[in-house]
Amino acid sequence: MSKLIYILLGVFFLFSCRKDLIENITPFEFNAPDYFPTLHYSFNNNEVTQEKFDLGKRLFFDKLLSSDNTISCESCHAQVHAFADHNVALSSGVEGRLGFRNSPTLANLAWSPSFMWDGGVNHIEIFSVAPITDSTEMNETMQNVIDKLNADASYVQQFKEAYGVNEVDDQAMFRALTVYMMMIVSDESKYDKWMKGKTSFTQEESAGKDLFEQKCSSCHSGALQTDYSFRNNGLDAVFTDLGRGRITLEENDYGKFKVPSLRNVALTYPYMHDGRFFNLRDVLDHYDEGIVASETLDPLLTSGIPMTEEEKDAIAAFLETLTDYELLNTYWLNQ
Amino acid sequence: MKTIKFFIPLLVMGTIVLSSCRKEGCTDATAVNYNEEAKKDDGSCEFVGQGAVTVEMSHVWGMSAAPFDLNTELIHPMTSDTMTYSTFKYYISNFQLKTAEGTWWTHPESYFLVDHSAPASLNLSLSGVPEGNYTDIRYTLGVDSVRNVSGAQSGALSTTNGMFWSWSTGYIMVKAEGTSPNASSGSFSFHLGGFSGANNIVTTKEHSFGATLTVTKSNSPKVMLSTNAARMFHNYGSISAGSTVHMPGATAASLADGFYGGVNFVGIQ
Repeated sequence: MSKLIYILLGVFFLFSCRKDLIENITPFEFNAPDYFPTLHYSFNNNEVTQEKFDLGKRLFFDKLLSSDNTISCESCHAQVHAFADHNVALSSGVEGRLGFRNSPTLANLAWSPSFMWDGGVNHIEIFSVAPITDSTEMNETMQNVIDKLNADASYVQQFKEAYGVNEVDDQAMFRALTVYMMMIVSDESKYDKWMKGKTSFTQEESAGKDLFEQKCSSCHSGALQTDYSFRNNGLDAVFTDLGRGRITLEENDYGKFKVPSLRNVALTYPYMHDGRFFNLRDVLDHYDEGIVASETLDPLLTSGIPMTEEEKDAIAAFLETLTDYELLNTYWLNQ
Repeated sequence: MKTIKFFIPLLVMGTIVLSSCRKEGCTDATAVNYNEEAKKDDGSCEFVGQGAVTVEMSHVWGMSAAPFDLNTELIHPMTSDTMTYSTFKYYISNFQLKTAEGTWWTHPESYFLVDHSAPASLNLSLSGVPEGNYTDIRYTLGVDSVRNVSGAQSGALSTTNGMFWSWSTGYIMVKAEGTSPNASSGSFSFHLGGFSGANNIVTTKEHSFGATLTVTKSNSPKVMLSTNAARMFHNYGSISAGSTVHMPGATAASLADGFYGGVNFVGIQ
């Protein structure tokens, strides 16, 4: 009898050293539906672990990242608003200073090839430098942030457990924040349930989907409703914000902004880079009859997108199916 | 007694299995006894036949190689601008040494931020150089495009060094700031960078020693380079026409071209 126990234990220990078996039982990993586009972020240098995620989450909610300890990432990217700001056009940083563009949702960033409305940031890992150091956002220096984290023994311990570093450094901090943000995957909307064959659309939603595909999907394409391109969608004749042109310095790019994903669009109002439209109907009206001509206006919009009021109702009903209420209630994304 | 009999072998087995999961050995890929399977370094790494080379940077002002320093009034030899620098920093990276046999040895993770206010940063230490004779040196002024597009970096490339543009990703590869009565604002601030297309300022340079640099375990020779800070304005001219550049573009490229032309080989020691 005791011999049998030894053999069983031996077999168990043998297998416990096999990496593939350990990985198969890891309860915490990055997952996404197969109908999503090709993943952009490579986890090669930054595999998801529970320790990294927990650290990233702590940092995401920590106001220590700002100069006067009043603003955290979550201040402008709140779970109840699908990780966009609290329905304000522009976000308030330290001392109530206003930024100059609307805070977008952070959901599904793992698929995004560039960041910011103008695509100026080329990698999610170094995205966080911008809000941390911007004088109208967190207004802090990277050195101060790292010093504050190193002064907190519990952070030092957590960084060691997550990244094996003896001292907090910015690379580990950025990577931890990245793991948290990558895990914000919105894939439980009614649209997703329909994609998985678990539910059906109402007649209006179904009509809206067809109209959306005819009228909107050349830019808002694919399962995330964006082709990630930069386009001028006819907001202004004179550009107070050069958009993509601010980055490339090419006149050809003036007034162009990134086509946003429409996931959770019903929750993330106001809309456009400056938050000028407060409801979805205003946006649809803009495409129908509000397009303003300019040098860089997208050729697809020269005559606008004509829609009847009934068609707008149907498209709005379809856009509502992109709302992911489960994302708002995912307990493990919360503090 | 029966229970003890049971537990002792169990304990021994557990310990063996546990330690076998974290295989120990040399984990440094540059060591001769590098063990690919080792997860934990046991201090057994052996580095046979390696030495170090120090690249010593010196900063000068103008063709006459007048001394350059911060917080000192300098007259530009070509534009006659009066300039007092408060900051003078730049990246130099990707060092390679050419062996007498004609092959290039590449220094791994070769990124240095030279900061005039920190004298130690002017001595760039290349470790792990294989013993042998070398005839040429090659290096990159700036930070190669790969490191500008690969996310969070560490060491000299950490964002804590303040040499990084947050709103339009990329390294500030050269930073020169100070005051000048010739600038309309009274101060100058040149932040040069750009790693793609026409805005690329990343420049590779190569110098022949004209002699042989011998590296042994006990001998750590020096390669001396000099940087002429004044040469930044070689193409650009007087800062009275503009004293702030904070983004990549044609102006930054012209300033960088002038500046990088002023980095030269002095000798070996």
